[in-house]
Amino acid sequence: MACVVACKRENDVPEEHYRTRVVEIVEGKFPKLRMELRPELCNHCENAPCVYNCPTGASYKRKDGIVMVDKKKCVGCKACMAACPYDARFIDPRNGAAHKCTLGEHRIIDGKDPACVTTCISGARIFGDFNDPQSPVSRILAERHVRTLIPEAGTKPTIYYIGLELLT
Amino acid sequence: MKEISIIGINEITYPHLDIWNWTIALYLYLGGMVAGLMILGAISQLRSSPITEKATDRPVSCYMAPILSPILLSIGMLFIFLDLTRKLNSFWFYLNFNIMSPMSWGAWGVGIIIPVSALWAISSLPGSYLDKLKRWKFIPYLYNKLVPYRDKLARLNCGLGIFLGIYTGVLLSSFVARPLWNSAILPILFLNSGLSTGAALLIIIAKDRMEKVFFTKADIALIATEIVIIILFYYAHLTSTSPHVESIAPFFTKGYYFPFWITVFLLGIFLPMALVLDVARVKGFSVLGLEKLRIHLSACLVLIGGLVTRLAFVYVGQLSSLSDIVKR
Repeated sequence: MACVVACKRENDVPEEHYRTRVVEIVEGKFPKLRMELRPELCNHCENAPCVYNCPTGASYKRKDGIVMVDKKKCVGCKACMAACPYDARFIDPRNGAAHKCTLGEHRIIDGKDPACVTTCISGARIFGDFNDPQSPVSRILAERHVRTLIPEAGTKPTIYYIGLELLT
Repeated sequence: MKEISIIGINEITYPHLDIWNWTIALYLYLGGMVAGLMILGAISQLRSSPITEKATDRPVSCYMAPILSPILLSIGMLFIFLDLTRKLNSFWFYLNFNIMSPMSWGAWGVGIIIPVSALWAISSLPGSYLDKLKRWKFIPYLYNKLVPYRDKLARLNCGLGIFLGIYTGVLLSSFVARPLWNSAILPILFLNSGLSTGAALLIIIAKDRMEKVFFTKADIALIATEIVIIILFYYAHLTSTSPHVESIAPFFTKGYYFPFWITVFLLGIFLPMALVLDVARVKGFSVLGLEKLRIHLSACLVLIGGLVTRLAFVYVGQLSSLSDIVKR
């Protein structure tokens, strides 16, 4: 769970709130059990319901696909929270604005990976540019079977999972 | 056996447990009621005798519905304002219009409806009210200017009332992430419920016997329609995908929300209808004594039922999700 801690530390996430979480699921009957660990975060959807439901334009999508919140425009109406199928947002109790994963945008400007990716000891989290065919994420997408969370919501997430079996 | 544990999430970080609370339910309730008042008030006004300068014998609904509409809607706006966590930023609602955002439509819509219904209210003022408001000189001035357009304002407000009633449902139904709300039937249900509560309020404030009977008959038809719409709403969910089926489970299983459901159906729908059903068939119905009490009790129960409906839908809807980890 180093990613959860690293994200909180790097992004000054308020107490008792998290931008990312790790879902642990155990299924079956002893001794035939299966376990899956799945990190979850904002899916930075192509068709982001949080963006098109925002009445003030505070939630927006950058050209590189990262979904962001402009705190100055946020009124705290919570429409984005109600609209998100991934429950990836919360209200920052310090300022009342919607808060969410930014994919460590202040780090990627400097060419670094997000803190959750850098700190992951098993390399389970991979970050990269889908527009670059030579990037690790593009190669994995081409070579491995991947899937997204709740595809039926029609949000077209840009967070992909390898070997996802137990949950949708 | 399926065991789920989540690291990095707790009750506070479960947004579906803490998105909207009773303030939003009250906003939707008052919005629906005002929609009903605007539609029924306009119909009542257009049905009544031609415009006279300071008519005092007009039905109460002809002037009370227009007067109450901007007042109740402003109170509703106050409740949604209380829910905002960055209240000082509210002006951003009016510096942006997002065509895909129902809340944006609502902010602009209500911002237009309040002044338009206020103009209709001024044009509908009876003489006795006008005399009391003489100290504010702009009111008699506006009254004289607006009286010739009273019927046109009534028609406009009727249209805006339909928009408002439907909007209170669309605000919830547009969220694909919340299966209970995500139904095209919900706006129709909320519009009908708004008309029903509007009629109930007019039954209580009406003085004339015929007026009370007219709105009681209207309310019986609206309650009957509501029963059909509610059955269709649950049928649509029951025959849809698994998240939709699971989203209605709290209404039919014993638990915290079960009493809400019983309250809505028995106290808010069936009982008020049973209390006044004979009004629909008895021509010479008296509204004195016990009959009057029955009509008023029925109207009060409809008002309570409408509120419980909004509370139940707002809270239960937030329990529903497309994700497995938040289902219970």
